[in-house]
Amino acid sequence: MFSSVLWIIWHFLDTHVLFIAGDGGFFYLPHAARVLCVVYFGYKAIPGLYFAELFGPYIIDPGFYSFPIYMTSLISVLAVPLTLSMLNSLGLTLGHTISSPLNRRNYKHIFLITFISAGFNSLLVNLYLSRNNLSFSNAITDIEQVFRFFIGDIVGTVSVFLFLTLLLKPILRQAKN
Amino acid sequence: MNEFYRNISDALIMLDGLEKDLNIRHFTPNELKVFYTIVTQSAFNQAGSNISEIVDHSGMSRSTVYKTLKKLSNEGIINLNQSEEDGRESLVTLVDNS
Repeated sequence: MFSSVLWIIWHFLDTHVLFIAGDGGFFYLPHAARVLCVVYFGYKAIPGLYFAELFGPYIIDPGFYSFPIYMTSLISVLAVPLTLSMLNSLGLTLGHTISSPLNRRNYKHIFLITFISAGFNSLLVNLYLSRNNLSFSNAITDIEQVFRFFIGDIVGTVSVFLFLTLLLKPILRQAKN
Repeated sequence: MNEFYRNISDALIMLDGLEKDLNIRHFTPNELKVFYTIVTQSAFNQAGSNISEIVDHSGMSRSTVYKTLKKLSNEGIINLNQSEEDGRESLVTLVDNS
């Protein structure tokens, strides 16, 4: 649901807010949901995230993507678990204590996961599009799009984190007292 | 269910760390009023404004201004220094973080 809500907000900003219309690729908000859900709720969040990735475009704006998105959505959703598996295989296991190599309570570690998963997402999705001669209706699948995906996922995730920090501030303050 | 709350708690701790490092502060309406008064006054007086000036320009009671200034000072937002000209007077300046 969180992912779908982010997709709806992102789609609204991309298509309705004049000064950023069409530049939505540079701040793709739903990547934050992928990162947060997989990091904090584990692999069991993947089916829900995948459903959300399909739900947004098909229900709200069926013509938004000019190709079937089953595979691209799956690749995008799996980018975060892939990142965690890679880091795990390098000895950086995810934990929640200060001694954990990858501490999910530390936002810098979460940003590291965001950067790597954004890299996987941008490369693998565009590789799939390129190999199958697919493209967005108004864009070419090229290195510029890889770059846009990468930056978009990072900027989008950081934006959502900042928004959540401000939104949940009263709760954070109350928890401290 | 406990695990669910622990996961949420971990996410909130992560966001709290981000908030702390970004120094995003929550001002109450009184703090905001006093803070803006100090900022406005600092444009006219680089050396700092005295508390009476802040009381006059903010339109708030002296005790409220005192309480708020103490809080802002404890949070490291403003400095309260003794005036060189008049030892009974405190000068309020903004903390320079640059």
